[in-house]
Amino acid sequence: MSIPAEALDNLTATAARDPADLLASRLRAEYGARITGELVIPAKSGDYSPLPEDLDHRLAQALRQRQVERLYTHQAAAWASVRSRRHTVIVTPTASGKTLCYNLPVLQAALQEKAKALYLFPTKALAQDQVAELSALNEAGELGVKAFTFDGDTPGDARKAVRTRGDIVVSNPDMLHQGILPHHTKWAQFFESLRYVVIDEMHSYRGVFGSHVANVMRRLRRICRFYGSDPLFILCSATIANPAQLAGELIGAEVNAITDSGAPQGAKHLLLWNPPVINPDLGIRASARSQTTRIAKLALRQGLKSIVFAQSRLMVEVLTKYLKDAFDKDPRYPARVAAYRGGYLPTERRAMERKLREGKLDCVVSTSALELGVDIGALDLCVLNGYPGTIAGTWQRLGRAGRRQRTAVGVLVASSLPLDQYIIRNPDFFLGASPEQARIDPDQLLILLDHIRCAAFELPFRQGEAFGNEDLGDMLAYLAEHGVVHREGDQWHWMTDSYPANSVSLRSVAEGNFLVIDTSEGKQSVIAEVDYSSAPMTLYEGAIYMIQSTPYQVERLDWEGRKAFVTRTRADYYTDAIDYTRLKILERFEEAKQTQQAVAQGEVHLVKRFAGYKKIRYYSHENVGYGNIDLPDQEMHTTAVWWQVNPQALEAAFDSRQIALDGFLGAGYALHIVAAMRMLSESRDIGRAVGDGNARWFATVGANGRGQLRSAQDEAIDPAQLDHFTPTLFLYDNYPGGIGITAPLYEDRSEIVSDARQLVSECGCAYGCPSCIGPILASDEVRGYSPKEAALKVLLLVSEDDA
Amino acid sequence: MTLRSRLSLLQEQAGKERKPRPASTSDSPLRQRLAGIRTARITAEPAASESRTSDEQLAKRLKGYRIAEGVIQIEQRLSLKGKLGQRSLAMLRNSLRLPGEGREAHLRQVYVDTETTGLSGGSGTVAFLIGMALVDEDALVVTQYLMTRFSGESAMLESFSQALSLDDRLVSYNGKSFDLPLLLTRYRMQAVPQCFTQLPHLDLLHPVRRLFAAGWPDCRLLTLEDRLLGFRRQHDLPGSEAPAAWADYLRQGRAEKLIQVVEHNRQDIVSLALAHAMLVSVIDRPEAYEIDIVSLAQWLSASDRAAAYALLKSTGQPLDGRGKRLLAQWARGAQEWDLALGIWEELSKQGCRQSAEELAKYHEHVSRDLNVAKQYCQQMKPGNDRRRRLERIEAKQYRLSLQTSLSGFAVEPN
Repeated sequence: MSIPAEALDNLTATAARDPADLLASRLRAEYGARITGELVIPAKSGDYSPLPEDLDHRLAQALRQRQVERLYTHQAAAWASVRSRRHTVIVTPTASGKTLCYNLPVLQAALQEKAKALYLFPTKALAQDQVAELSALNEAGELGVKAFTFDGDTPGDARKAVRTRGDIVVSNPDMLHQGILPHHTKWAQFFESLRYVVIDEMHSYRGVFGSHVANVMRRLRRICRFYGSDPLFILCSATIANPAQLAGELIGAEVNAITDSGAPQGAKHLLLWNPPVINPDLGIRASARSQTTRIAKLALRQGLKSIVFAQSRLMVEVLTKYLKDAFDKDPRYPARVAAYRGGYLPTERRAMERKLREGKLDCVVSTSALELGVDIGALDLCVLNGYPGTIAGTWQRLGRAGRRQRTAVGVLVASSLPLDQYIIRNPDFFLGASPEQARIDPDQLLILLDHIRCAAFELPFRQGEAFGNEDLGDMLAYLAEHGVVHREGDQWHWMTDSYPANSVSLRSVAEGNFLVIDTSEGKQSVIAEVDYSSAPMTLYEGAIYMIQSTPYQVERLDWEGRKAFVTRTRADYYTDAIDYTRLKILERFEEAKQTQQAVAQGEVHLVKRFAGYKKIRYYSHENVGYGNIDLPDQEMHTTAVWWQVNPQALEAAFDSRQIALDGFLGAGYALHIVAAMRMLSESRDIGRAVGDGNARWFATVGANGRGQLRSAQDEAIDPAQLDHFTPTLFLYDNYPGGIGITAPLYEDRSEIVSDARQLVSECGCAYGCPSCIGPILASDEVRGYSPKEAALKVLLLVSEDDA
Repeated sequence: MTLRSRLSLLQEQAGKERKPRPASTSDSPLRQRLAGIRTARITAEPAASESRTSDEQLAKRLKGYRIAEGVIQIEQRLSLKGKLGQRSLAMLRNSLRLPGEGREAHLRQVYVDTETTGLSGGSGTVAFLIGMALVDEDALVVTQYLMTRFSGESAMLESFSQALSLDDRLVSYNGKSFDLPLLLTRYRMQAVPQCFTQLPHLDLLHPVRRLFAAGWPDCRLLTLEDRLLGFRRQHDLPGSEAPAAWADYLRQGRAEKLIQVVEHNRQDIVSLALAHAMLVSVIDRPEAYEIDIVSLAQWLSASDRAAAYALLKSTGQPLDGRGKRLLAQWARGAQEWDLALGIWEELSKQGCRQSAEELAKYHEHVSRDLNVAKQYCQQMKPGNDRRRRLERIEAKQYRLSLQTSLSGFAVEPN
């Protein structure tokens, strides 16, 4: 509803003079050779429907006050679907007026029947935006409907008013899980009249988070049944392949999907950009970073507003520094460039969002943190420094430019990462592909069990009740055996002196954020928060931790106390952690054994060790030193697919074990690319490793560019000295317990191996490169054999023979 | 590796503390997969030889009777002629009126305390024992409702509701933030009507904190018994063990601990009643006890400023800065300037800027000695207040000097 539906269509006529158009032509003219693909999405005019006849006249009046005289067709379709009591999901582009789709039926029910609604957003910031927007409509029509946020920031004395007087309560799944459902009796009135539950940004509920949220919805619906209500769900999502399916899995009911947007759209140019090759022998290209900086600088000089997305917090800081070095040299002027990422304090982020909206910043460099619908105003250019990992994620980020129906330019700059190179060299794949499926696994055993505990706390379970798709009776019997619940007659009662929701975090499997504390100048102030899983990568002692391009050095890390003490520093380098991964096979769920190879899927135990870190100098990116990291190993049980080759076949195929090892490492690299592609998952969801499968040794690429065996004690091992040499190639699910990636991976194993063979054999490089088997060193020409050949040999060996 | 131990490890990696448990004998495949969950395996059901206490036997041992399926009611009359520690129960016959109280002090006082399955609150915590006490003729009657299984809950809640009337006042120790909200949750969960939310409620923890927090290590009921009632419990089962005691009875029919919990709860209620009476007499004769006179005076002042002032003026206790400032403030209100000035001057010498401000006000408006007022002004906290006051005093001085010279001019013979 932030866009009045009127007066937008004629904008496209001015496209020719649009500065963003000029930028696109200029990039095309000057750097044509780097552009491997281009897509122009023409401007589209809007499709409209009149305001529905059954719309309350007060609501219609409020809309007219806000210059909304008619609806987009998808808004009207959503109205009709919701009014016919169907759970509904709306999937339309950014800024297509999605919020009106749910605000209209919710406000109507509040006005006419005093019905209540619960809005859930993945972040607090989005919730606050939403309340501001509701208030605007509310004031325009003097509707008297009360909307309140209820989250961790809501003061204690205001909570009661929210519970009893709020018509619309705006919160997040975490708060629902920990603060509302376990105290449902305080919310009795609210639940009794709860008519609508709105879930916005539904696409962000995937993987672990989504699986948790689906269970929170099971609990919510269970509590509603207790109070005799059965709310209708309205969901909104960015484009994904399976909105109706995801919505259905999230709420456990059939959902009607509305996918045709009636909103007008400005034209969009999308350029796929490959950095030029600077060393043809090694297949080394200029960095994506250098290209991104160049494009962003060009836009800044032309006075365009731009957003740059980087893949890591570190890259955000590096890019910001380079851009600031060019544009924010004079401290007397307000900054034109800023960084935005998780880890900053909320107030800092709010201030930045405001500056963006008000147009006071010209360029913002961000991680995926800004991918969600935080309103940041109109932008002309979006540069993606590296492929975000998914097609849906790419469109979501590109959508941040041109929100307000202006022509926008998006540039996807490929990094040297293989997935990027695959995409950039096969532009049709990306431009023609449908976005990914969002997967969740609400019955993941650990997650399900956690929520059964939470649900038992909220209400006793009755015999015959269902919760999830495992046998609830068995699960409860198990909990009873451990004294968590107590069976009496046909009911299971909570029986433990604890509050289970507090020990279940929806966002991660591990808990406990780290605080970053600045101790410069003798005082102690918290300057950032880092989540548990990224702490070992970023907060080891000696690490350079950057905030708004200001480097801090970690002096001391209190692992138990979850605190890192840092001081300001003038270092001219940044740091990058080196990690080693060992895997042990615990159990085979499935195995396909053939004469010369075997592939299996099952349970593994993984230990990640952070061995040390590299110091890398700015600009030159040369390695200027190493440091040790002294941290506990990070352990994980998960699922994996692994390939092994019959030892005789292996000895016969390779002249030496060293060559075989290099072959395995290269093959693993290629398989990882293809698997991530085929599974349509983000590449960090899948990990890869080569080891013996018993955690006695694992392989890594040493400083000399060759495969190296290392023992559990981190000593080098000569492969020739081993009695048994059975290198095992793992692709594993990168979440504790697994989130359901490896089963389909195992299913598709033949295609994955043959795709990987094709990827390597068709790659234009001589001995191997980052786009196929991983980077090789200049000295590799004197290796005496081709690592690429070795990798192909391994891929051939693990191919299933039809014999 | 069994899935049981696999999951146990999995949970460890999730940052949740636990140790692997011995494998279960159960072999349902799902149960096996679930194995290794963090919680301790409970002790097995008692062997057949070990006898399970029945509700009937439990009621007998508690000298109570079963009033419904799963509910035991225990009633005990304590003669008001008796003593608890050094204090006589006869005190409960007195009018129990605290400062500022009106009608509620004359209602029937109902002392309430619960024992629960946990301390965390939320809808999964159950009150399995509700104890109440009230004075009936010459006795303090303690009535306890004990739930011996979950299915007894609604009957227990109904019994408690019926024992209350609209002419009661509830008296508790920390009941406002713990017991009563928890009970309210239980009534809602069981859909049993209740009236107690409409009754006035005195939570003794608040006045006790007010009067004693400064002098006592903490304000737990046990500390109150020691410091105010003059006794220490023997063989008391700590309240924190109540959840386990009830679980023991439910699962294994072991009654020993539960019987101790019932005793503990009765003790709590009797102490609560006596503490109420003691508090009234402490307030009547505050000098005899180690209480915070200033806090008491503040409390009194809300309903009876004169009494509060008299108390503070006549106290033999040395007053701290806060007390002196309060005394001076009330002296100012009563226009007893000598007392007020004495205190302010003493305090301002010690650097109290607030007192300097009072003195500046006094000399500006009452004594009208602007030079002195200005001096005290200088000692005030730097800021807008000081600046404005100084400017005003200087303006007054200027006006005065102008008047003087003008009037001097006027009387000058021409």
